Amino acid sequence: MAQTRSGSKLLWDILSYAIMIVLAIICIGPIIWTFLTSIKVEEDIVTRDMVYFPTRFTFESYVKLWNQSSYPVLVMNSLVVTSLTVLICLLTGSIAAYSFSRFNFKGRTQLMLAYLVVRMFPAVLMIIPLFIVMRNIGLLDSTVGLAVAYTSFLLPLFVWMLKGFFDAAPKELESAARIDGSTRIGAMFRIVIPIARNGLVATCVFVAIAAWNEYLFALMLTTSQGSRTWPVGLQLMVGEFQLPWGMLAAGGMISILPVIILFAIVQRVMVAGITAGAVKG
Amino acid sequence: MSRSLNMPGSRPPRTIWEAISPFRLIGELSETRYWMYLLLLPSALLITAVVLYPTVYGMQMSFREMRLNRPDLGNDWVLFKHYVRMINDPIFWVSLRNTAVWVTSSIVLEFLIGLIAALALNRDLPGTKLLAVLILLPYFLPNVVAGHMWALMLDPRMGVINDLLLKVGLLTEYKAWFADPTTAMAAAIIVEAWHSFPFFTLLIMAGLKGIPTDLYKAANIDGAGAFAQLRLITLPMLKTIIAAAVILRVIGLVNSPDLLLILTSGGPGRSTQVLSLYAFQMAYKDFNFGYAGALSVVMFVFLMLFAWAYVRLSKVNQE
Repeated sequence: MAQTRSGSKLLWDILSYAIMIVLAIICIGPIIWTFLTSIKVEEDIVTRDMVYFPTRFTFESYVKLWNQSSYPVLVMNSLVVTSLTVLICLLTGSIAAYSFSRFNFKGRTQLMLAYLVVRMFPAVLMIIPLFIVMRNIGLLDSTVGLAVAYTSFLLPLFVWMLKGFFDAAPKELESAARIDGSTRIGAMFRIVIPIARNGLVATCVFVAIAAWNEYLFALMLTTSQGSRTWPVGLQLMVGEFQLPWGMLAAGGMISILPVIILFAIVQRVMVAGITAGAVKG
Repeated sequence: MSRSLNMPGSRPPRTIWEAISPFRLIGELSETRYWMYLLLLPSALLITAVVLYPTVYGMQMSFREMRLNRPDLGNDWVLFKHYVRMINDPIFWVSLRNTAVWVTSSIVLEFLIGLIAALALNRDLPGTKLLAVLILLPYFLPNVVAGHMWALMLDPRMGVINDLLLKVGLLTEYKAWFADPTTAMAAAIIVEAWHSFPFFTLLIMAGLKGIPTDLYKAANIDGAGAFAQLRLITLPMLKTIIAAAVILRVIGLVNSPDLLLILTSGGPGRSTQVLSLYAFQMAYKDFNFGYAGALSVVMFVFLMLFAWAYVRLSKVNQE
């Protein structure tokens, strides 16, 4: 009996490994293939005989992308928009998350629900009015306008995720600080935020990745070089250049590199935060 | 800064500078009864401005004539004109059907792969941490890059997937997956499933951690097999989390046309045209904001009905 149980455990272990390895290959296969494409020479990309293991390598695609297209400008714009989005979320969202986490007040549940329900609003329905309003106040085609538009779906997410991390920070330390004569805001900045620091960083990274990746709002709300972000620019390259696979692959690799690095660094805390936010919602 | 924050709100200011110090003022404000509301004010104002106001604006827009490229038509109220047009619009019905196929197939596929991945990862075997990072990664990649990666791999002339399938003998010649109306939707669903199944994995993994191990021990003693345990313990215990995950994913799938916009733009023909994409194109290409608004409102109503019905059904089943 004991033998069959350990036998079946071994069987399940092998099966688990098989599943995980196959899935991992499927998940990173496309990324590796794109990387290979980005360093292949043109003839090895456009060929009838598939080149699986290129013997010739070149960084031509990267050089061409960096020099002949507006990619550096696009990446800069994306950086600005992403930073602004995170900044707005930090300034307005962290205090809201703190309020939800620490106080019990009239209308709290309803308000939290409202922060959740706004995620259900179709982006298309919001984009058109945003387009009209931003055109009227001169924020259309600007990095600030785009960052403000991003908060429409990222701020509620930020508040919910951060609230989860604040909830996990013990309330006793805060009470102790209050007894020692600290004001509420003093306790928030000197006790709660330092304790929830990892969570705060993870939440910011999550929002930053989402803002960096966003395509639809950027497509609609930017019209020129001055504020266009990289996803829109990369998509436009499809029509602009002939057979741009090498450049597309290079652009893709450049733009997902920061995402992969950030994700690898804060993944554990971030994953915990995403699930905490969703589970309670 | 920390000193002024440290100040108890009740102590009188010593100097004129201390009395008008912003830190002191905020510190005192934080002791009032309305502090929690003040903290919420900035984000609530912002959400009102960028979510609620545009949504209401968009809804009233759906009852008006609003064509950016036809100013001669004016912006008059047209009541239900756009909604009547929708009923008689064959593209609307095709889009609705495609949306149903797109959402249900993607959800089923993502849930199944997500569940299997989560069950395997949850065994905490050595090396799982690294594999988890790799398996969760696609969810964090941008739609644009995910779309291009797969478009490259499925390309009719130099796609590696065509080549692999040819070598295995599943294909006799290279196939233009996105140009054939019979395969375009299926190919897009596979790309979507690849991109988003980790979301289910993430949530289900968190749910699995919350199931007491005693339940499985008891089931083992009773001689329940692995599949019986899955059906009788794991899935019932995960019910709430699965419901939450499904709702969030359905919202995402219905609302965002990004991936289809990048992969197919709704083509070939109308074979991958979904509602959100139709609404977006109506606004972005035809500049018919009124009709686009009406399409979005219908989408929104469907989502609300779905969420409400789904939450009710999963609650009824629990009892």
